[in-house]
Amino acid sequence: MLELLPQLLVNGIVSGTLLAIPAIGFTAIFAVLRFPNFAVASHATIGAFAGYVANVHFGLPAFVAIVFAFAVAGLVGMVTDEIALKPLRVHGALTTAIASIALTLVLENCVRFAFGNELRGYDLPILRDWRFGDIRIGPQQVENLGLAIAIMVAVFAFLSFSRMGKAMRAVADNPLLADLKGINAEKVGRLTAFFGMGLVGVGGMLLGLGTSIDPLTGFRFILAIFAAAVVGGLGSIPGAVIGAMVVGIGEELSLIVLSPTYKSAVGFIAIVLVLTLRPRGILGERAH
Amino acid sequence: MSLNKISRRSMLRGGVAAAAILASPAVLRAQDGPIKLGALNPLTGVGGNYGPSMRAAIAGVVDQVNATGGVLGRQIELASGDTQTSPEAAVRAARKLIDVDGVSAVLGTWASSITTAVAPLCWESKTMLFCVSGADSITQLPHQGFIARTQPNSKLQIRVAGDFMVGEGMSRGVWIGPQTPFAQSSIDILDEIMKKAGHGYESLIYEADKTTYRSEVDQILRQKPDFLMLGGYAADSTILLRDLFQAGYEGKIIGPAYAVNASLLKALPDDVVEGIFTWEGSPAVDSSAYAKVKAILGVDEVDPYSAQTYDHASLAIMAMAAAGNSAGDAIRQSLRSVSQGEGETVDNAVDGLKIIAGGGAVNYSGASGPCDFDEIGDIVGTQFIFKKISGGKPGVYKRA
Repeated sequence: MLELLPQLLVNGIVSGTLLAIPAIGFTAIFAVLRFPNFAVASHATIGAFAGYVANVHFGLPAFVAIVFAFAVAGLVGMVTDEIALKPLRVHGALTTAIASIALTLVLENCVRFAFGNELRGYDLPILRDWRFGDIRIGPQQVENLGLAIAIMVAVFAFLSFSRMGKAMRAVADNPLLADLKGINAEKVGRLTAFFGMGLVGVGGMLLGLGTSIDPLTGFRFILAIFAAAVVGGLGSIPGAVIGAMVVGIGEELSLIVLSPTYKSAVGFIAIVLVLTLRPRGILGERAH
Repeated sequence: MSLNKISRRSMLRGGVAAAAILASPAVLRAQDGPIKLGALNPLTGVGGNYGPSMRAAIAGVVDQVNATGGVLGRQIELASGDTQTSPEAAVRAARKLIDVDGVSAVLGTWASSITTAVAPLCWESKTMLFCVSGADSITQLPHQGFIARTQPNSKLQIRVAGDFMVGEGMSRGVWIGPQTPFAQSSIDILDEIMKKAGHGYESLIYEADKTTYRSEVDQILRQKPDFLMLGGYAADSTILLRDLFQAGYEGKIIGPAYAVNASLLKALPDDVVEGIFTWEGSPAVDSSAYAKVKAILGVDEVDPYSAQTYDHASLAIMAMAAAGNSAGDAIRQSLRSVSQGEGETVDNAVDGLKIIAGGGAVNYSGASGPCDFDEIGDIVGTQFIFKKISGGKPGVYKRA
């Protein structure tokens, strides 16, 4: 089994990078709005379907369809947050988190009503993998990897250099102080819901590009997203990237010692270990 | 003394009677109302492709029977539940059908994990359960006759497909599928067939809800197999087939037709699915019952599960008539008197009810096959059909 190690590492890096995008969205929402928004599952699905419509029905290439996935998932995220979750935030993070689970079920079924249960594939050719000695990697994977890295660079640039990005970080860091400085927390909250869910939608589409999509697409990687955010440190964006790599690579490498049936256990084990040994996560500044 | 004064004794009597009525199963309270049947199908989730038409086939039978006066002089009311293709949701839906609606029979549970979860609720409440699930373990449960299935058991299905693989010139086989109630028995049966034929064989059980199986594919391709058997459902098989193609696998593949279905073929490009074999218990496509299901659903080709649920509803209704009683226990006792034996052959419930009303016996021959059951509720005498995908479409390869 050890001879598979380099290949498993490559597979892990690719899946970790794809996981990082929705994990950033999830953790950004947590940082600013202070609750774990489990509606990421349905927003990943919505993003995947929005990208599908753009790609298959409008004939747009994948990298343009991604913008569509971002916009639609972001918009749905912002509107549903405003209607369903915002009024509950005063009742605490737990209440809002539970409401987000209900929201994800409602949205998942909306997708089902609109598109049905069938599996759908993007209008992309499936190509044989490139081989470098014993290691193989797919052209689509390389493209997804490139897109994911470009998106991450854009996210970091947005947060570091733009006025709104800085405002988001300020609210995440200290909402009271941000308020004193005249930052409109409500506006920032709305923007975070848009930006966070947009990223989750992009993650859903990137995953769909490599597989097929159905109304349960987002549900399949909710645990991995949550684990990535917790491992990296809830609320820390670089942490989400590191957490995603740990979970992505960990899941693939686990095949050396574990039966593939227990792959998801890696996410749970990572959460348990982090909560036991370092509750604030790898890069988190405080325990939530 | 006032006339409307209620004595303590009559009050107690009334109270006890009321409590007894409330405590009795809903079915006893509704002896004079419509007879309730429960359709418990996968309307959503991975089985969502089949559930709606499975339910429509049942509703079609119920409508036809109601239009001709119902059964035992009562109309039939169909209560529906969605299993969501999840055992946990299925149990909740079954509870509602049994405890609230008071159904006599639950029809059409799909996926073995779901039937396994729902079965104890049925036999404990003396409700008949008709299922389309294949795991061997289902009919080995202590169900006291309350389970009947129209789907061939997985032992038979795997044996037929394993023999097919050997017959097609396989030299090294692999079984790969998710953790299901029939995963281990499938692996064991194939192991036995491969050993007997002197061929190499490996197996791998993966987790169903993942978005990629690249590493699992790498793991099995190390064995250099030339024939793979898929053991999953459509969603995971779609991902797996894509990963196998990308990994450069060029050998043969066979998958159950419920996994390599129309939805999978639509989701994947033709070159990825070219040459894949599928197999399934064949509905009786030339039968008059099959033509009746086609008419109910308004389609040219009926999937095996909708054909089976048409048979479930027909059998349950005729069994009630034969027993002269609509309870689940009555269906259990008289099922085999209408499904097999020396009676007049019928292909639908309406004709069957007429013969039974005239004092005759019937032998139902349905859309899914002859519908004869052995003593533990397994179907006997099923035909299988093998298809090969070519140009994105399945074509008949052979029958067995």
